[in-house]
Amino acid sequence: MIADPAQVEAAADTDPAGADPAGADPVASAAGPSRFDFEAIGTHWQIETPHPLDPATRAAVLARVEAFDRDFSRFRPDSLVTALARGAGTVDLPADAVPLFELYDRLHAATDGAVDPLVGARLEELGYDAAYTLRPSESTVPDARARPSWAGGVTRAAAARGGVAVSAPAGTVIDVGAAGKGYLVDLVASVLRDAGHTEYVVDGSGDLAHSGGAPVRVGLEHPLDPRKAIGVAELAGVSLCASASNRRVWGEGLHHIVDPRTGSPAREVIATWVVASTTALADGLATALFFTGAHQLAKTFHFSYVRMYADGRAERSRDFPGELFA
Amino acid sequence: MMTTRQKKIGLTALAGVSLSVALAGCATDATAESDAGAAAPAETPAASSAATPAATSSASSGDSAGSSSGSTYKDGTYEATGSYTSPNGQEEIDVSLTLAGDVITAVTVTPEATNPNSVNYQNQFADGIAQVVVGKDIDEIEVSRVAGSSLTSGGFNKAVETIKADAA
Repeated sequence: MIADPAQVEAAADTDPAGADPAGADPVASAAGPSRFDFEAIGTHWQIETPHPLDPATRAAVLARVEAFDRDFSRFRPDSLVTALARGAGTVDLPADAVPLFELYDRLHAATDGAVDPLVGARLEELGYDAAYTLRPSESTVPDARARPSWAGGVTRAAAARGGVAVSAPAGTVIDVGAAGKGYLVDLVASVLRDAGHTEYVVDGSGDLAHSGGAPVRVGLEHPLDPRKAIGVAELAGVSLCASASNRRVWGEGLHHIVDPRTGSPAREVIATWVVASTTALADGLATALFFTGAHQLAKTFHFSYVRMYADGRAERSRDFPGELFA
Repeated sequence: MMTTRQKKIGLTALAGVSLSVALAGCATDATAESDAGAAAPAETPAASSAATPAATSSASSGDSAGSSSGSTYKDGTYEATGSYTSPNGQEEIDVSLTLAGDVITAVTVTPEATNPNSVNYQNQFADGIAQVVVGKDIDEIEVSRVAGSSLTSGGFNKAVETIKADAA
Protein backbone atom coordinates (compact mmCIF):
# COMPACT_ATOMS: atom_id res chain seq x y z
CA MET A 1 0.00 0.00 0.00
CA ILE A 2 1.15 3.42 -0.68
CA ALA A 3 1.04 5.01 2.54
CA ASP A 4 3.64 7.39 3.45
CA PRO A 5 5.36 10.39 2.21
CA ALA A 6 7.21 9.53 -0.39
CA GLN A 7 10.57 10.70 -1.21
CA VAL A 8 12.79 8.34 -3.06
CA GLU A 9 15.55 8.34 -0.60
CA ALA A 10 19.14 7.42 -0.99
CA ALA A 11 19.67 4.20 -2.77
CA ALA A 12 21.52 2.19 -0.23
CA ASP A 13 23.38 -0.48 -2.01
CA THR A 14 23.81 -3.84 -0.42
CA ASP A 15 24.85 -5.57 -3.57
CA PRO A 16 28.12 -7.20 -2.65
CA ALA A 17 29.52 -7.15 -6.13
CA GLY A 18 28.50 -3.58 -6.76
CA ALA A 19 29.82 -2.44 -3.44
CA ASP A 20 33.24 -3.75 -4.23
CA PRO A 21 35.13 -1.00 -5.97
CA ALA A 22 37.45 -3.49 -7.57
CA GLY A 23 34.62 -5.74 -8.59
CA ALA A 24 35.27 -5.71 -12.26
CA ASP A 25 33.91 -9.16 -12.72
CA PRO A 26 30.54 -9.68 -11.12
CA VAL A 27 30.82 -12.98 -9.36
CA ALA A 28 27.22 -12.69 -8.42
CA SER A 29 26.15 -16.17 -9.36
CA ALA A 30 28.84 -17.69 -7.21
CA ALA A 31 28.28 -15.24 -4.40
CA GLY A 32 24.51 -15.51 -4.50
CA PRO A 33 22.01 -13.07 -5.85
CA SER A 34 22.61 -9.37 -6.11
CA ARG A 35 20.40 -7.01 -4.22
CA PHE A 36 19.47 -3.43 -4.85
CA ASP A 37 17.87 -1.74 -1.84
CA PHE A 38 16.24 1.64 -1.72
CA GLU A 39 13.67 3.62 0.20
CA ALA A 40 10.68 4.89 -1.77
CA ILE A 41 7.05 5.82 -1.22
CA GLY A 42 7.69 5.69 2.47
CA THR A 43 8.91 2.15 2.75
CA HIS A 44 11.76 -0.20 1.98
CA TRP A 45 12.27 -1.83 -1.42
CA GLN A 46 14.59 -4.58 -2.54
CA ILE A 47 15.25 -5.97 -5.98
CA GLU A 48 17.01 -9.31 -6.20
CA THR A 49 18.56 -10.50 -9.43
CA PRO A 50 21.10 -13.19 -10.29
CA HIS A 51 23.46 -10.53 -11.60
CA PRO A 52 23.84 -6.94 -10.48
CA LEU A 53 21.70 -4.29 -12.08
CA ASP A 54 23.84 -1.89 -14.02
CA PRO A 55 23.80 1.77 -12.98
CA ALA A 56 21.53 2.76 -15.85
CA THR A 57 18.93 0.20 -14.84
CA ARG A 58 19.09 1.29 -11.25
CA ALA A 59 18.60 4.86 -12.29
CA ALA A 60 15.67 3.84 -14.48
CA VAL A 61 14.05 2.02 -11.57
CA LEU A 62 14.42 5.00 -9.27
CA ALA A 63 13.14 7.35 -11.93
CA ARG A 64 10.10 5.17 -12.50
CA VAL A 65 9.29 5.10 -8.82
CA GLU A 66 9.81 8.82 -8.47
CA ALA A 67 7.55 9.62 -11.40
CA PHE A 68 4.74 7.47 -10.06
CA ASP A 69 5.09 9.00 -6.63
CA ARG A 70 5.13 12.54 -7.97
CA ASP A 71 1.89 11.87 -9.82
CA PHE A 72 -0.08 9.79 -7.32
CA SER A 73 1.13 10.46 -3.77
CA ARG A 74 -1.33 12.35 -1.61
CA PHE A 75 1.54 12.84 0.82
CA ARG A 76 3.47 15.11 -1.54
CA PRO A 77 2.64 18.77 -1.90
CA ASP A 78 3.78 18.72 -5.53
CA SER A 79 1.79 15.71 -6.71
CA LEU A 80 -1.06 15.80 -9.20
CA VAL A 81 -3.34 14.14 -6.70
CA THR A 82 -2.60 16.91 -4.19
CA ALA A 83 -3.25 19.52 -6.84
CA LEU A 84 -6.66 18.01 -7.47
CA ALA A 85 -7.46 17.94 -3.76
CA ARG A 86 -6.52 21.59 -3.45
CA GLY A 87 -8.90 22.69 -6.13
CA ALA A 88 -7.11 22.43 -9.45
CA GLY A 89 -10.40 21.24 -10.89
CA THR A 90 -8.83 18.99 -13.50
CA VAL A 91 -5.46 17.29 -13.60
CA ASP A 92 -3.94 15.26 -16.41
CA LEU A 93 -2.67 11.99 -15.05
CA PRO A 94 -0.26 9.98 -17.20
CA ALA A 95 -0.99 6.74 -19.01
CA ASP A 96 0.00 4.87 -15.84
CA ALA A 97 -3.40 5.82 -14.49
CA VAL A 98 -5.37 3.91 -17.09
CA PRO A 99 -4.77 0.32 -15.98
CA LEU A 100 -4.71 1.40 -12.36
CA PHE A 101 -8.09 3.09 -12.57
CA GLU A 102 -9.54 0.21 -14.52
CA LEU A 103 -8.50 -2.10 -11.72
CA TYR A 104 -10.09 0.24 -9.20
CA ASP A 105 -13.30 0.23 -11.25
CA ARG A 106 -13.45 -3.54 -10.97
CA LEU A 107 -12.48 -3.61 -7.31
CA HIS A 108 -15.02 -0.93 -6.48
CA ALA A 109 -17.77 -2.90 -8.19
CA ALA A 110 -16.76 -6.27 -6.79
CA THR A 111 -16.59 -4.97 -3.21
CA ASP A 112 -19.81 -2.93 -3.39
CA GLY A 113 -17.80 0.19 -2.82
CA ALA A 114 -15.48 -0.96 -0.06
CA VAL A 115 -12.40 -0.36 -2.18
CA ASP A 116 -12.60 3.24 -3.28
CA PRO A 117 -9.73 5.63 -4.05
CA LEU A 118 -11.80 8.49 -2.71
CA VAL A 119 -11.36 7.12 0.79
CA GLY A 120 -8.43 9.55 0.93
CA ALA A 121 -10.53 12.35 2.38
CA ARG A 122 -11.71 10.13 5.21
CA LEU A 123 -8.17 8.89 5.91
CA GLU A 124 -7.06 12.49 6.24
CA GLU A 125 -9.92 13.23 8.61
CA LEU A 126 -8.84 10.32 10.75
CA GLY A 127 -5.41 11.88 10.97
CA TYR A 128 -3.54 9.96 8.29
CA ASP A 129 -2.55 13.00 6.31
CA ALA A 130 0.57 14.36 4.71
CA ALA A 131 1.61 16.08 7.93
CA TYR A 132 1.03 12.93 9.98
CA THR A 133 -1.40 14.77 12.22
CA LEU A 134 -2.44 11.33 13.43
CA ARG A 135 -5.33 12.78 15.36
CA PRO A 136 -8.89 12.44 14.15
CA SER A 137 -10.62 15.67 13.38
CA GLU A 138 -14.29 16.45 13.39
CA SER A 139 -15.82 14.94 10.30
CA THR A 140 -17.26 17.38 7.84
CA VAL A 141 -19.41 14.59 6.47
CA PRO A 142 -20.76 12.67 9.46
CA ASP A 143 -22.69 10.27 7.27
CA ALA A 144 -20.13 8.24 5.37
CA ARG A 145 -22.68 7.36 2.73
CA ALA A 146 -23.05 11.01 1.85
CA ARG A 147 -19.48 11.18 0.62
CA PRO A 148 -18.67 11.11 -3.05
CA SER A 149 -17.63 7.68 -4.24
CA TRP A 150 -15.46 6.46 -7.08
CA ALA A 151 -18.68 5.89 -9.01
CA GLY A 152 -19.48 9.47 -9.87
CA GLY A 153 -17.21 11.35 -7.51
CA VAL A 154 -14.73 12.09 -10.26
CA THR A 155 -15.11 12.40 -13.99
CA ARG A 156 -12.50 10.99 -16.30
CA ALA A 157 -11.70 11.78 -19.89
CA ALA A 158 -8.96 10.85 -22.30
CA ALA A 159 -5.97 13.15 -22.11
CA ALA A 160 -2.86 13.70 -24.14
CA ARG A 161 -0.32 10.89 -24.54
CA GLY A 162 -2.74 8.21 -23.43
CA GLY A 163 -3.34 9.78 -20.07
CA VAL A 164 -6.48 10.50 -18.10
CA ALA A 165 -7.89 13.91 -17.31
CA VAL A 166 -9.49 13.68 -13.90
CA SER A 167 -11.93 16.34 -12.75
CA ALA A 168 -13.31 16.67 -9.25
CA PRO A 169 -14.20 19.37 -6.77
CA ALA A 170 -11.66 20.64 -4.24
CA GLY A 171 -11.39 18.31 -1.28
CA THR A 172 -11.49 15.19 -3.42
CA VAL A 173 -8.55 13.16 -2.22
CA ILE A 174 -7.54 10.23 -4.39
CA ASP A 175 -5.68 7.62 -2.40
CA VAL A 176 -4.27 4.76 -4.44
CA GLY A 177 -3.15 2.95 -1.32
CA ALA A 178 -5.15 -0.20 -1.98
CA ALA A 179 -3.48 -1.17 -5.24
CA GLY A 180 -0.93 1.53 -6.02
CA LYS A 181 2.13 -0.03 -4.48
CA GLY A 182 1.45 -3.37 -6.11
CA TYR A 183 1.01 -1.58 -9.39
CA LEU A 184 4.32 0.18 -8.86
CA VAL A 185 5.98 -3.19 -8.24
CA ASP A 186 4.66 -4.25 -11.66
CA LEU A 187 5.98 -1.06 -13.23
CA VAL A 188 9.41 -1.63 -11.71
CA ALA A 189 9.35 -5.22 -12.93
CA SER A 190 8.68 -3.99 -16.44
CA VAL A 191 11.71 -1.71 -16.20
CA LEU A 192 13.76 -4.79 -15.34
CA ARG A 193 12.34 -6.77 -18.22
CA ASP A 194 13.03 -3.88 -20.59
CA ALA A 195 16.62 -4.07 -19.44
CA GLY A 196 16.76 -7.76 -20.29
CA HIS A 197 16.24 -9.24 -16.84
CA THR A 198 14.01 -12.30 -16.73
CA GLU A 199 14.87 -13.52 -13.25
CA TYR A 200 14.03 -11.20 -10.40
CA VAL A 201 12.20 -10.58 -7.19
CA VAL A 202 10.85 -7.08 -6.76
CA ASP A 203 9.91 -6.71 -3.11
CA GLY A 204 8.18 -3.50 -2.12
CA SER A 205 7.89 -4.38 1.56
CA GLY A 206 4.98 -6.74 1.67
CA ASP A 207 4.17 -6.68 -2.03
CA LEU A 208 6.38 -8.69 -4.31
CA ALA A 209 6.69 -10.06 -7.81
CA HIS A 210 8.72 -13.12 -8.70
CA SER A 211 9.91 -14.07 -12.15
CA GLY A 212 12.13 -16.89 -13.36
CA GLY A 213 14.65 -18.96 -11.50
CA ALA A 214 14.00 -20.89 -8.35
CA PRO A 215 10.75 -20.36 -6.48
CA VAL A 216 10.92 -18.03 -3.52
CA ARG A 217 9.72 -19.04 -0.08
CA VAL A 218 8.05 -16.19 1.75
CA GLY A 219 7.06 -16.20 5.39
CA LEU A 220 3.60 -14.85 6.18
CA GLU A 221 4.37 -12.44 8.96
CA HIS A 222 2.27 -12.84 12.09
CA PRO A 223 0.33 -9.58 12.34
CA LEU A 224 0.61 -9.61 16.11
CA ASP A 225 4.26 -10.64 16.32
CA PRO A 226 6.61 -9.66 13.50
CA ARG A 227 9.24 -12.15 14.67
CA LYS A 228 6.93 -14.97 13.76
CA ALA A 229 5.17 -16.28 10.69
CA ILE A 230 1.80 -18.00 10.51
CA GLY A 231 2.69 -19.81 7.33
CA VAL A 232 4.79 -19.93 4.22
CA ALA A 233 4.03 -19.20 0.60
CA GLU A 234 6.10 -20.60 -2.23
CA LEU A 235 5.97 -18.47 -5.33
CA ALA A 236 7.07 -18.99 -8.89
CA GLY A 237 6.21 -16.53 -11.59
CA VAL A 238 3.43 -14.85 -9.63
CA SER A 239 2.92 -11.99 -7.23
CA LEU A 240 2.16 -12.00 -3.53
CA CYS A 241 0.81 -9.07 -1.58
CA ALA A 242 0.28 -8.82 2.12
CA SER A 243 -1.85 -6.35 3.94
CA ALA A 244 -2.16 -5.98 7.67
CA SER A 245 -3.46 -3.41 10.07
CA ASN A 246 -0.63 -3.68 12.55
CA ARG A 247 1.96 -1.12 11.48
CA ARG A 248 0.08 1.94 10.29
CA VAL A 249 -1.66 2.39 13.60
CA TRP A 250 -1.92 5.73 15.33
CA GLY A 251 -4.51 5.28 18.01
CA GLU A 252 -7.11 2.98 19.51
CA GLY A 253 -8.78 1.29 16.56
CA LEU A 254 -7.20 3.71 14.11
CA HIS A 255 -5.32 2.26 11.19
CA HIS A 256 -5.05 2.79 7.49
CA ILE A 257 -7.49 0.20 6.14
CA VAL A 258 -10.75 2.09 6.19
CA ASP A 259 -14.14 1.13 4.83
CA PRO A 260 -15.43 4.22 3.04
CA ARG A 261 -18.98 3.02 3.45
CA THR A 262 -18.77 3.33 7.22
CA GLY A 263 -15.79 5.62 7.58
CA SER A 264 -14.28 3.20 10.08
CA PRO A 265 -11.15 1.05 10.00
CA ALA A 266 -11.64 -2.67 9.52
CA ARG A 267 -11.99 -4.70 12.71
CA GLU A 268 -12.54 -8.39 12.14
CA VAL A 269 -9.81 -9.11 9.62
CA ILE A 270 -6.29 -8.25 10.71
CA ALA A 271 -4.15 -9.55 7.86
CA THR A 272 -4.50 -10.85 4.32
CA TRP A 273 -2.22 -12.37 1.73
CA VAL A 274 -3.14 -12.74 -1.91
CA VAL A 275 -1.36 -14.51 -4.75
CA ALA A 276 -2.31 -13.38 -8.25
CA SER A 277 -0.88 -12.95 -11.70
CA THR A 278 -0.10 -9.28 -11.24
CA THR A 279 1.06 -7.44 -8.17
CA ALA A 280 -1.49 -4.69 -8.67
CA LEU A 281 -4.32 -7.20 -8.55
CA ALA A 282 -2.86 -9.02 -5.57
CA ASP A 283 -2.47 -5.74 -3.72
CA GLY A 284 -6.00 -4.57 -4.45
CA LEU A 285 -7.49 -7.90 -3.44
CA ALA A 286 -5.46 -7.98 -0.24
CA THR A 287 -7.25 -4.78 0.72
CA ALA A 288 -10.61 -5.97 -0.59
CA LEU A 289 -10.48 -9.09 1.59
CA PHE A 290 -10.67 -6.90 4.67
CA PHE A 291 -14.23 -6.07 3.69
CA THR A 292 -15.51 -8.58 1.17
CA GLY A 293 -15.70 -12.35 1.16
CA ALA A 294 -13.39 -14.31 -1.06
CA HIS A 295 -16.31 -16.01 -2.73
CA GLN A 296 -17.74 -12.68 -3.80
CA LEU A 297 -14.38 -11.51 -5.15
CA ALA A 298 -13.85 -14.80 -6.96
CA LYS A 299 -16.77 -13.94 -9.20
CA THR A 300 -14.63 -11.22 -10.71
CA PHE A 301 -11.00 -12.16 -10.10
CA HIS A 302 -8.67 -15.13 -10.15
CA PHE A 303 -6.54 -15.34 -7.03
CA SER A 304 -5.68 -17.43 -4.02
CA TYR A 305 -5.47 -16.10 -0.51
CA VAL A 306 -4.99 -16.38 3.23
CA ARG A 307 -7.04 -14.27 5.58
CA MET A 308 -6.46 -13.95 9.31
CA TYR A 309 -9.03 -12.77 11.82
CA ALA A 310 -8.67 -10.87 15.06
CA ASP A 311 -9.55 -14.00 17.01
CA GLY A 312 -6.45 -15.79 15.72
CA ARG A 313 -8.11 -17.96 13.14
CA ALA A 314 -7.01 -17.99 9.55
CA GLU A 315 -8.62 -19.28 6.42
CA ARG A 316 -7.09 -20.02 3.08
CA SER A 317 -8.21 -20.90 -0.36
CA ARG A 318 -7.43 -24.43 -1.33
CA ASP A 319 -5.11 -23.38 -4.08
CA PHE A 320 -2.96 -21.07 -1.97
CA PRO A 321 0.61 -22.10 -2.80
CA GLY A 322 1.90 -22.74 0.65
CA GLU A 323 0.97 -23.81 4.13
CA LEU A 324 -0.36 -22.40 7.36
CA PHE A 325 0.97 -23.35 10.77
CA ALA A 326 -1.76 -24.74 12.97
CA MET B 1 -1.71 -35.97 0.64
CA MET B 2 -3.02 -32.45 0.71
CA THR B 3 -5.65 -33.35 -1.84
CA THR B 4 -6.88 -36.24 0.19
CA ARG B 5 -7.25 -34.19 3.27
CA GLN B 6 -9.08 -31.46 1.43
CA LYS B 7 -11.41 -33.92 -0.13
CA LYS B 8 -12.31 -35.35 3.22
CA ILE B 9 -12.95 -31.94 4.61
CA GLY B 10 -15.06 -31.02 1.66
CA LEU B 11 -17.24 -34.09 1.94
CA THR B 12 -17.66 -33.55 5.63
CA ALA B 13 -18.84 -30.10 4.85
CA LEU B 14 -21.36 -31.48 2.46
CA ALA B 15 -22.78 -33.74 5.08
CA GLY B 16 -22.82 -30.96 7.58
CA VAL B 17 -25.45 -28.99 5.75
CA SER B 18 -27.49 -31.93 4.61
CA LEU B 19 -26.76 -31.12 1.04
CA SER B 20 -26.39 -33.98 -1.31
CA VAL B 21 -25.51 -33.57 -4.91
CA ALA B 22 -26.83 -36.32 -7.08
CA LEU B 23 -24.90 -36.77 -10.24
CA ALA B 24 -26.64 -38.39 -13.10
CA GLY B 25 -25.82 -38.90 -16.70
CA CYS B 26 -23.61 -36.72 -18.76
CA ALA B 27 -23.10 -33.11 -18.03
CA THR B 28 -22.06 -30.87 -20.80
CA ASP B 29 -22.87 -27.41 -21.75
CA ALA B 30 -21.93 -25.12 -24.50
CA THR B 31 -19.94 -22.85 -22.28
CA ALA B 32 -17.73 -25.57 -20.96
CA GLU B 33 -14.05 -25.23 -21.52
CA SER B 34 -13.40 -28.40 -23.38
CA ASP B 35 -9.93 -29.58 -24.05
CA ALA B 36 -11.20 -31.32 -27.11
CA GLY B 37 -12.51 -28.13 -28.52
CA ALA B 38 -15.46 -29.78 -30.14
CA ALA B 39 -18.50 -28.98 -28.13
CA ALA B 40 -20.59 -31.97 -27.41
CA PRO B 41 -24.22 -31.81 -28.38
CA ALA B 42 -26.16 -29.81 -25.91
CA GLU B 43 -27.65 -31.91 -23.24
CA THR B 44 -29.63 -31.08 -20.24
CA PRO B 45 -27.34 -30.09 -17.46
CA ALA B 46 -27.44 -33.14 -15.40
CA ALA B 47 -25.97 -32.40 -12.06
CA SER B 48 -29.11 -32.13 -10.09
CA SER B 49 -28.87 -31.47 -6.47
CA ALA B 50 -31.27 -32.66 -3.90
CA ALA B 51 -30.41 -30.32 -1.16
CA THR B 52 -32.41 -29.83 1.94
CA PRO B 53 -34.53 -27.88 1.95
CA ALA B 54 -34.01 -26.30 -1.41
CA ALA B 55 -31.43 -26.20 -4.10
CA THR B 56 -30.86 -24.86 -7.50
CA SER B 57 -28.28 -26.37 -9.69
CA SER B 58 -26.35 -25.88 -12.80
CA ALA B 59 -23.71 -27.99 -14.31
CA SER B 60 -20.68 -27.14 -16.26
CA SER B 61 -18.21 -29.56 -17.60
CA GLY B 62 -14.75 -28.28 -17.03
CA ASP B 63 -12.91 -31.20 -18.46
CA SER B 64 -15.35 -33.10 -20.52
CA ALA B 65 -12.73 -34.33 -22.93
CA GLY B 66 -11.56 -36.95 -20.51
CA SER B 67 -12.19 -40.52 -21.43
CA SER B 68 -15.35 -41.62 -19.81
CA SER B 69 -15.86 -44.96 -21.39
CA GLY B 70 -16.81 -47.39 -18.71
CA SER B 71 -17.72 -44.59 -16.39
CA THR B 72 -21.19 -44.08 -15.16
CA TYR B 73 -20.74 -40.35 -15.03
CA LYS B 74 -19.16 -38.11 -17.54
CA ASP B 75 -15.93 -36.58 -16.41
CA GLY B 76 -16.18 -32.94 -15.59
CA THR B 77 -16.89 -30.37 -12.99
CA TYR B 78 -20.37 -30.19 -11.60
CA GLU B 79 -21.64 -27.21 -9.73
CA ALA B 80 -24.65 -26.77 -7.55
CA THR B 81 -25.99 -24.16 -5.22
CA GLY B 82 -27.70 -25.36 -2.11
CA SER B 83 -29.53 -23.41 0.50
CA TYR B 84 -30.14 -24.25 4.09
CA THR B 85 -31.66 -22.64 7.10
CA SER B 86 -29.19 -21.56 9.71
CA PRO B 87 -30.02 -19.86 12.98
CA ASN B 88 -29.32 -16.68 11.08
CA GLY B 89 -31.81 -17.37 8.37
CA GLN B 90 -31.57 -18.74 4.90
CA GLU B 91 -28.02 -19.22 3.65
CA GLU B 92 -26.55 -20.54 0.46
CA ILE B 93 -23.43 -22.44 -0.42
CA ASP B 94 -21.97 -23.36 -3.75
CA VAL B 95 -20.63 -26.84 -4.24
CA SER B 96 -18.32 -27.85 -7.02
CA LEU B 97 -17.37 -31.47 -7.67
CA THR B 98 -14.86 -32.69 -10.19
CA LEU B 99 -15.29 -36.23 -11.47
CA ALA B 100 -12.77 -38.31 -13.35
CA GLY B 101 -13.62 -41.92 -14.07
CA ASP B 102 -16.41 -41.87 -11.50
CA VAL B 103 -13.97 -40.75 -8.84
CA ILE B 104 -14.38 -37.43 -7.15
CA THR B 105 -11.07 -35.70 -7.60
CA ALA B 106 -11.98 -32.34 -6.13
CA VAL B 107 -14.68 -30.83 -4.01
CA THR B 108 -15.03 -27.17 -3.35
CA VAL B 109 -17.62 -25.67 -1.10
CA THR B 110 -17.88 -21.94 -1.25
CA PRO B 111 -19.89 -19.84 1.13
CA GLU B 112 -22.39 -17.31 -0.01
CA ALA B 113 -23.35 -16.05 3.41
CA THR B 114 -23.82 -12.44 4.24
CA ASN B 115 -24.61 -12.79 7.91
CA PRO B 116 -21.34 -12.41 9.82
CA ASN B 117 -22.00 -15.42 12.02
CA SER B 118 -22.74 -17.54 9.02
CA VAL B 119 -19.69 -16.22 7.28
CA ASN B 120 -17.56 -17.60 10.07
CA TYR B 121 -19.40 -20.88 10.02
CA GLN B 122 -19.27 -21.30 6.30
CA ASN B 123 -15.67 -20.28 6.02
CA GLN B 124 -14.87 -23.40 7.94
CA PHE B 125 -16.58 -25.35 5.22
CA ALA B 126 -15.04 -23.43 2.46
CA ASP B 127 -11.52 -23.52 3.58
CA GLY B 128 -11.29 -26.45 5.84
CA ILE B 129 -8.62 -24.85 7.89
CA ALA B 130 -10.25 -21.73 9.20
CA GLN B 131 -8.64 -22.55 12.45
CA VAL B 132 -6.40 -20.91 14.92
CA VAL B 133 -2.95 -20.50 13.50
CA VAL B 134 0.24 -20.42 15.47
CA GLY B 135 3.31 -18.37 14.83
CA LYS B 136 6.62 -20.03 14.21
CA ASP B 137 9.86 -18.18 14.59
CA ILE B 138 10.85 -16.80 11.24
CA ASP B 139 14.41 -17.98 11.83
CA GLU B 140 13.19 -21.56 11.91
CA ILE B 141 11.15 -21.81 8.75
CA GLU B 142 13.73 -21.33 6.02
CA VAL B 143 12.27 -18.45 4.11
CA SER B 144 14.18 -15.89 2.14
CA ARG B 145 11.57 -13.16 2.55
CA VAL B 146 8.74 -12.16 4.79
CA ALA B 147 5.49 -10.54 3.75
CA GLY B 148 3.41 -8.57 6.18
CA SER B 149 2.28 -5.00 6.34
CA SER B 150 4.68 -2.54 4.81
CA LEU B 151 7.38 -1.14 6.99
CA THR B 152 6.58 2.40 7.98
CA SER B 153 8.72 5.40 7.33
CA GLY B 154 10.74 7.26 9.89
CA GLY B 155 8.34 10.18 9.68
CA PHE B 156 5.33 8.10 10.56
CA ASN B 157 7.11 6.36 13.38
CA LYS B 158 8.31 9.64 14.81
CA ALA B 159 4.80 11.07 14.70
CA VAL B 160 3.40 8.07 16.53
CA GLU B 161 6.09 8.39 19.19
CA THR B 162 5.19 12.05 19.63
CA ILE B 163 1.56 11.17 20.15
CA LYS B 164 2.42 8.50 22.67
CA ALA B 165 4.64 10.96 24.53
CA ASP B 166 1.87 13.56 24.56
CA ALA B 167 -0.60 11.03 25.84
CA ALA B 168 1.67 9.77 28.59
